Amino acid sequence: MEPREETMSVGGVDVHVWKGGRGDPLLVLHGAGGNRGFTRWLRQVAERYTVWAPTHPGFGRSGDADWMETVDDLARFYLWFIEAAALGRPHLLGQSIGGWTAAEMAAMSPRAIDRLVLVSPAGLKPETGEILDVFYYPAPQLRAMTVHDPKTIPEWEELYGRPPTPAEIEIATRNQEMTARLAWKPYMHNPRLAHFLPRVTNPALIVWGREDRIVPVECGEQYRRLLPNATLSVLEGCGHLPPIEQPDAVARLVIDFLGGTRS
Amino acid sequence: MKLYYFSEMPHHEFPDEEGLKYPSLRLEFPNRFFNPAIAASNYQRYLDEYELADQAGFDGLMINEHHSTPSCVNVGVNMTAAVLGRITRRAKILLLGNILPIEDNPVRMAEQIAMADLISGGRVLSGFVRGVGVETWWANTNPVHNRERFEECHDLVLKCWTDPGPFRWEGKHYHFRHVNPWCLPLQKPHPPIWVPGTASPETAIWAGQRGYTYVPFLVPFDIARELFDYYRQGAAEAGRTVTPDNLGFLICAVTADTRAKALEAGRHFVWRMGPTLRAPLEFMSPVGMRSRAGNQFALRARPRSLAAMSYEELIAEHFIIASTPDEVADRFAHIQKELGIGHLLLEAQESRMDHPTTMRSIELMGAKVIPTMGALA
Repeated sequence: MEPREETMSVGGVDVHVWKGGRGDPLLVLHGAGGNRGFTRWLRQVAERYTVWAPTHPGFGRSGDADWMETVDDLARFYLWFIEAAALGRPHLLGQSIGGWTAAEMAAMSPRAIDRLVLVSPAGLKPETGEILDVFYYPAPQLRAMTVHDPKTIPEWEELYGRPPTPAEIEIATRNQEMTARLAWKPYMHNPRLAHFLPRVTNPALIVWGREDRIVPVECGEQYRRLLPNATLSVLEGCGHLPPIEQPDAVARLVIDFLGGTRS
Repeated sequence: MKLYYFSEMPHHEFPDEEGLKYPSLRLEFPNRFFNPAIAASNYQRYLDEYELADQAGFDGLMINEHHSTPSCVNVGVNMTAAVLGRITRRAKILLLGNILPIEDNPVRMAEQIAMADLISGGRVLSGFVRGVGVETWWANTNPVHNRERFEECHDLVLKCWTDPGPFRWEGKHYHFRHVNPWCLPLQKPHPPIWVPGTASPETAIWAGQRGYTYVPFLVPFDIARELFDYYRQGAAEAGRTVTPDNLGFLICAVTADTRAKALEAGRHFVWRMGPTLRAPLEFMSPVGMRSRAGNQFALRARPRSLAAMSYEELIAEHFIIASTPDEVADRFAHIQKELGIGHLLLEAQESRMDHPTTMRSIELMGAKVIPTMGALA
């Protein structure tokens, strides 16, 4: 199925969804930067899996959800989404705050999903370092800190090569506001999440960039220790956006992991 | 027209080149440059100046509150109000004001303002503000809740002052099972409420609907008029008549025995127009704190930043008035005529303006400017 966009109503919220590919369903939850749709890594993954990539409520072209307060609200919402979209027991992949959301969903209802992929997820308080305060820095400075080296990014021109349109600026502001709504305090983590992660026995893959300056790679070690059946794959020369920075490597890791023995 | 004396109680006793090493004097400038001995003597000095302003005949003494910045070390507006309530005798005490969205306990705020009102013999004018972004960072309050918390905190403070306790409050942001403050304002039904504005049409409308005194800070005349129009729109919605007593304006002003001396003293206000406001946008206006309409209005309201204006331009545009008492009185009369206001708030000390200069300015205002104000408005 060619990637296409549609809108689904869940709990009174109109959810914008990118959908495409073939194979077992894979739910993909985006990060604070918003839903980039079928970029290079996701097109590769969609050759093997039917990808559902919704835009979080309050982000992009999805409807408002001013009543949400925390990422666990978003997690409960997506458990509902899985039922509403009749996805059965999909694989679940989340990136950054989407990864945090995926971890919360798995902890709330481990049997609602099959395999779990967390890409640079927020959600845990680093044991020694800090999660960068992404609201504190001007956009150009933040972008420079988000990726390791723009020169190595194959889609840099398509994604960032021209100034944003007014509509894109409006969406970026919306994305930031909803991120603040969900993750302002405690900043980008849930102090209780660590207590629930040992419940998640689903096979889990954790992917991290060694040079991540947003969420330190030590959080990847923490997730690996807390999830009973997880492996951690650290990409060298990579920052906070592995699917953009190393799309081919990430797609291969994800396909290999999901194609393993079913749980 | 009534005149109000105001100092931000700055702590500008550090080398300016040190400040320039940081992205802003707010939040980032390390507090190792805070000098407790100097701050202790500054408080005495600033309070002496307020005391003289009371004696000199100012109608009101305005105080404000900021955090994490040398531009204002008045970190507790209710604490200062209580001190002024005891050391002054006559002038109103204008708190402009308490920063509602960052307050986690509106009941305590209601008690503290009430206590200041009682100590001062009913002289408190209770200003409520949304605060600049810096205070949101300082308090770590979610900026997307700024307006909701402003309004809910306001509603709970008013209820504390006007509804008999005990009562329960289960709101969206505030939850109190037993509200029964044993400290209520002397003024009935409650102290007058004031609201400042710089760029938010919503705040002007909101204040107009409630008949609160509304005061734009350091904006061009045409922007002040536009904000007053929003205020009138809100007042009309509630069927209220707007009088000069509902409207105020804030500028910087100093006088001296000669024009040259006043101009020299007035240069100290330039610090608050540029260096103390220098900051990334994110510090002053974190994401979600302002509405889209507020953001758009803010862009129009500041076609040129105050920091980009020369001292001479700041004087020409009435952001700063620095001259002999006669000329100062003329400029105040001009502002009154342009804006139709009943209250003029004077930021009358800044930066390194010294104590003798400040005291002399207060004396001259009292002797030669204040007596001419009664004929206005």
